[in-house]
Amino acid sequence: MTPEEIINRALSQGRDRLSEHESKELLAAFGVPVCREVLARTPEEAAASAATLGFPVAVKACGAEISHKSEQSLVALSLKTEPEVREAAARLLDADGADSVIVAEMVSGSRELLLGLVRDLQFGPCVMAGAGGVLTEVLDDVAFRMAPTARPDIEDMLDSLACRPMLSAFRGQAAADRDALADVVAAIGKVAEAFPQVSEIDVNPVIITKSGQIVAVDALVVLERSAPAVAGKISGKQS
Amino acid sequence: MIEKIEESPLFKMVNPESIAFFGASNNFAAMGTNMLSSLMALGFPGRIYPVHPKEETVRGLAAYKSVADLPEAPDLAVIVLPTRLVIQTMEECGKKGVKTAIVITAGFREKGEEGAAEEKKLWDVARKYGIRFLGPNCIGATNLHAKLNTTFMRAEGSPGGIGFASQSGSFVTQMFNYLARFGTGFSTAFSVGNAADVDLIDCIEYLGACPHTKVIGMYVEGIRRGREFVALCREVVRKKPIVALYVGGSKTGRRASLSHTGTLAGPDKLYDGIFRQAGVLRARSVDEMFDICRAFCSLPLPAGNAIAIQTHSGGPGTVAADACGRAGLSVPDFSAQTAERLSEFVPSTGSLANPVDITYSKNPESFFSAIPEALLADPGIHMLLVYYLVPNAMVESPLRRMGLSDGDAAEAARSWLDNQAGAIAALMEKSKKPVAGFTFRGIMEQFPQALMARGIPVFPGPERAVAALAGMVRYRRFRERIELAARARG
Repeated sequence: MTPEEIINRALSQGRDRLSEHESKELLAAFGVPVCREVLARTPEEAAASAATLGFPVAVKACGAEISHKSEQSLVALSLKTEPEVREAAARLLDADGADSVIVAEMVSGSRELLLGLVRDLQFGPCVMAGAGGVLTEVLDDVAFRMAPTARPDIEDMLDSLACRPMLSAFRGQAAADRDALADVVAAIGKVAEAFPQVSEIDVNPVIITKSGQIVAVDALVVLERSAPAVAGKISGKQS
Repeated sequence: MIEKIEESPLFKMVNPESIAFFGASNNFAAMGTNMLSSLMALGFPGRIYPVHPKEETVRGLAAYKSVADLPEAPDLAVIVLPTRLVIQTMEECGKKGVKTAIVITAGFREKGEEGAAEEKKLWDVARKYGIRFLGPNCIGATNLHAKLNTTFMRAEGSPGGIGFASQSGSFVTQMFNYLARFGTGFSTAFSVGNAADVDLIDCIEYLGACPHTKVIGMYVEGIRRGREFVALCREVVRKKPIVALYVGGSKTGRRASLSHTGTLAGPDKLYDGIFRQAGVLRARSVDEMFDICRAFCSLPLPAGNAIAIQTHSGGPGTVAADACGRAGLSVPDFSAQTAERLSEFVPSTGSLANPVDITYSKNPESFFSAIPEALLADPGIHMLLVYYLVPNAMVESPLRRMGLSDGDAAEAARSWLDNQAGAIAALMEKSKKPVAGFTFRGIMEQFPQALMARGIPVFPGPERAVAALAGMVRYRRFRERIELAARARG
C-alpha cells in the first residue's frame, strides 16, 4: 500500500493511529530503514514466515489499538524454532485488540535511540532525537528541532544529547552510521510535511547495531482523527 | 529582514519628533504623570503635547483638550488612560493621522474573555487607521540614544549597546540601575505587554537593523509566530547575537499524548532546541543574559575557545579554570616563548602554567601590562580572563609609607589605577582578543568601574565571567552552523 492509502484507510476506520506494521510501512516509504518483518494472521503463517526470515525472530501482537507492548507482555523475543513461534503467535493472537502478529528478524544491539515527531501550535512540526528504549522517560535525554531540518542542525541536535558518546565507537561496537541516522531524522520531518494528518511519530527503539547500522524496530504514527483524507497523489519516497 | 532601521514600522515609535501624551496630569501620584516626568527628566528634545480634558497646562507644558486640537499629527501617542477610554482615544488618534502608539493601560486580554474582545476591538481600530502599537498592558519603550523613555522609572546611566525586547516590563525599567552599575545600558528596549499588535518578532527586526544595538536581549515566556521567529533570528544572528532568557517551560508541564515524543515535548526542551536552531543563545538566568550581553557590547569576538587565566591567588584561578572546563573553553599550556617571557615577571613561587599564578608581583605594574601583553601575544590563546583584587587602600598604603599625605595618596592611587585600566584596554585594542575580569569585591569600586568604562567587562565571580565568554564562543559556532544550514537548505 502507498502511504496515502495507509493513512486514508486508518482515517476512514475512525482510527487515531496506525498499527506498528502500518507505521513502519509508511516510514519505510520515506527511506527509514526498518527491520525485516512479515504480518501473519495465524500461528501457521507465523511459523512459515519465521522460517523464511531465518531464526531467531521476534513475534509481536499487532492491531490498530495496541501500544506499549512490552508492558503488557505482547512481545516474544529470540524465538529459535517453528514450534516456539507457533505457540507464541497463538497466545498473542488471543490478546485484546490483536488481529495479527508481526514476525520480525531479531535486531541485536545494546544502543537504543528514540526518534520522533510532534506538532507544536506555534512552531509546527518538530523532530526529536534522544535516548531510547524503556528508560526513555526516566533519562529524559532528548532534543528537538523544527522541521524541516538541515543536516548541520541535525548534527547539532545529536551532539547536544547527553548520550552522544553512544554514537561513537563504544565498548567494542562500531560508531553509528551518522549519515543514516541523520537521514532518518530528516525523513521523519518529511513525513510531517507531506501529511498534515500525522500529528505525532515515535520510532522507538531505533537500534544501533554492533556494526553501527541504524534499524527501526518499532514505530507508532499518531493521526489527527478529524483530519481530512489525503487527496490527490503525493509521492511517498522523497529524496 | 529589514536593512535600514527607517523601514521598521517601529522607527517613529522609538525615534519620535513629537509625542501626544494621554493620562498625564498635575496629580503627581498618577502613573501617567510619572511617565511624562521620566520623559522630561531625560531631556527629550522633541515636542510633547499633553492631552487633558480639563487642565490648561500639565507639568508646565501647554495641554490640549483633544488630540484633534494638536497643531500637528504627532509621531507617537502614549496612552495611560482608564481602560474604557483607550479604544475611543485610539480612534481619535487615527483620525488625526497618528501612526504609532504605546498603550500602557491594562485590563485587556489578561483579564479574560471580555478583555480579549476589547483588545480585538482596539486592534481593529488601529488597523483601520494603519497605526502600529505596543501593548496594551505594557510599560512602554525606551530609546536612550534618542532621549526617549516612556516608562515610569527614571532612566539611569548612559545609552549602551543592548537592544532589548521583553514580555515583562520589569526587565526594562528595573534594569536601568543594574546596567548602569556595570557601566552600560540599553540602546532601545521594548516592553511588549499583551503584544496585541507589535510582538517580540517586530522588536527583533527593529533591533537587528538598529545601528546602536550591538546585541539583542530577550525575555520570553512564550513565542507566537514561531516559524517567522526562527526565520528572522537566523538572519539577524548573522549580523549580531541574540541572547534569550526563556521561562515558562517548567511549570506549564507536558501534554497528554499517545506517543513518547509527545509526552517528552515539554516547552522547555522544545524552546531549547529551537533557540539553538535559530542561532539564539539561551541564558540560564537574568544575570547570565545581561552578562553575555555586556560581553558582546564591548569585546571583540574570540577567534576560538582557548583562554588564558591570569591570577595572583591560587583558588580563584583554579575555580575559573574549572568553570572553563565545564563551559567548553580550553585552558591550554602557553607556548615556550610565552613561558619564557612570563618567567621574567613571575616569582619562583608562582606558576608559569595556565592559569598563570603571579602570587606576589615583583613589579606591580607588570600585572596590568607586561604579563597580559605576553599572554595576549601567544598565538594559541584567544581570550584573557584576569582576577582582580585591587582595592584602592592596597595601593594607597605604600604611597603613604613613602610620605604622601592621605589625600595625596588617595589621589595618586586613583590615578595609578586609572592608568592600569587604560593599559589593559590598550592591550585589548591592540591584540583584538577579548579581555574580561572578575572580582569578589564591590563592582562599584574605582578599578572595576575604570575597566568597564574602557570596555573591559568585570564580573562578580569567575563562573559568571566564564559563562559570558563561553557565550561568545557559542555564538561564533552557532553563526557558522547557521551559514552551513542556510547553504544546505539552498
